[in-house]
Amino acid sequence: MNATTASTLPRRAAHRGSPMNLRLIDWIWHIRGSVDLPAGQTSEDAFARLQSLLRQPGTSQHRAADALRFSKTDPAAQDKLAVFENGTLHVEQGGAGPVLRYHLISRALLLCFLAPLLFLAFAQLTIAVGQWQEPATKAAEKAKADKKKDAKKDQALTMNPIDKALGAPAPEKDGKKPDRKGDKYSPTSAYVFASLFAALYVIGRVLEAWLVKKRLRRTLAGD
Amino acid sequence: MEGVLVGKRLIGTQAPVTVGWENIPRVEGGAFKRLFFSYFQPSVLFALILFWYYAPNSIAKASVAIGIGIGFRVFLMGLEFFFPRHESWQITWKEVTTDLFYVGLGYTVLRLVDGFIGSDVMVGAIQDSFHLKAFSWFMGLPILVQALIVSFIFDFGQYWMHRGMHNWYPLWLPHSVHHYITQLNINKGAVGNPIELFLIGLGIGGFFDFVPRAFLLAGAIGLAVGSYQHINVRFNSPRWWRFLFHTTEHHSLHHSQDFEASRSNFTNTYIFIDRMFGTCVDGEAELLGMEGGRRMGIAEQMTYPFTDAWRTIKGKLARPAQAVPAE
Repeated sequence: MNATTASTLPRRAAHRGSPMNLRLIDWIWHIRGSVDLPAGQTSEDAFARLQSLLRQPGTSQHRAADALRFSKTDPAAQDKLAVFENGTLHVEQGGAGPVLRYHLISRALLLCFLAPLLFLAFAQLTIAVGQWQEPATKAAEKAKADKKKDAKKDQALTMNPIDKALGAPAPEKDGKKPDRKGDKYSPTSAYVFASLFAALYVIGRVLEAWLVKKRLRRTLAGD
Repeated sequence: MEGVLVGKRLIGTQAPVTVGWENIPRVEGGAFKRLFFSYFQPSVLFALILFWYYAPNSIAKASVAIGIGIGFRVFLMGLEFFFPRHESWQITWKEVTTDLFYVGLGYTVLRLVDGFIGSDVMVGAIQDSFHLKAFSWFMGLPILVQALIVSFIFDFGQYWMHRGMHNWYPLWLPHSVHHYITQLNINKGAVGNPIELFLIGLGIGGFFDFVPRAFLLAGAIGLAVGSYQHINVRFNSPRWWRFLFHTTEHHSLHHSQDFEASRSNFTNTYIFIDRMFGTCVDGEAELLGMEGGRRMGIAEQMTYPFTDAWRTIKGKLARPAQAVPAE
């Protein structure tokens, strides 16, 4: 699915025209950086070397003279650039020689950044449903307490002689099947996942920026 | 590809699979490493059984079980990171984040929905409507027997539901999404369309009465056996373990890109149920997924059962009616 064309780079590809207000926040899902090209490497050589990263299933690319734009659809899990759905790479003359500047866009990072909001919404929903169900829950608890009183009149739960001989603790009289998933109207797990995704975002934003720089440098160096 | 004849079925004609335990690689390395990866699984299983059998009532609670479950998963994630079974299944930031999104759904909004339409709710309603009494004599059985009955009932139901999903299009629709995973990792079991996650949780265990400890023990058995279904770690599982329990090898074959291989190994815990009904294939696969291994994004995973159903209905309606020869 690789489509390499030597046409002029589409205008949108340069990503220089982002409105000022968006530039203030787009670092959330945009990663920009640069890597020095090895001595004597031309833009043609550099893009040829980068093909090992870019020739992946679901990736299409468009080439202009010193720039390359790629986009991905359903990238494979092990695609080294799977986090970035779009990106632009261009070679410029820097102070100490030619550099490869990259501008990569990640929907995955944006969604991870927003995920805590979704889980906070789930927490509020859980609280609201819990309040709505409060009368029913109280009635169920009362019925359970009444049942418990009746149960007290009954004999204690029978314990199998094998379990007695092996020394297992006796079951409680009012023993009921435990709710394996805990309190279903508690928002705690939603708060835990909101925090988890906030942490995952920070890790991902730092890790993926570091990894892509390392991979581009190594690929350009031919490692 | 020639494939391998297993019973009456030809496995591996569309994608590479390995059939037969003798053909599956074993963990190599130092004595400690081999010892660890040979005895880790049975040790954890027996340790958990002993713990839940003897834990005082003050400790034998659902919250402790949840804590142990989370701790065990984190440990297994560490094993995956340092000892991957296949480099091609290596965990990445994007994969772990996607998987945890589904785990998060399971612990939050799906749990909330399950409280209204889950099988326990339905069983309670049926019992109330028909004035059915629970089978209370089960509570007099030895606790471990009760636990085995609980987990067997659940897995037996799970087997037929899962087999139904692979054989009946309306059930396949929600399950198909789970088969788009292209690698196995510890949390991949949670990945799927939410409708499927509800269907797979249906059970009839609620009709029976067991002591609370039996449920905790059954949960521990499920944790100590079922957790390895989707894991990127190789174990030298003992022969008896591979005969009784569903292993990563079995499940990788179930997720194979080979259609015939994917129609095997339907259980969660007890692979001997598959053996009983002739659907067990002992083997493994590395190339997983559908459509040649296309990785499906979250948005498509949420809508795919509906869009695919719509495509199918539209296709059937658009098919021209068969011409009837004029008399």
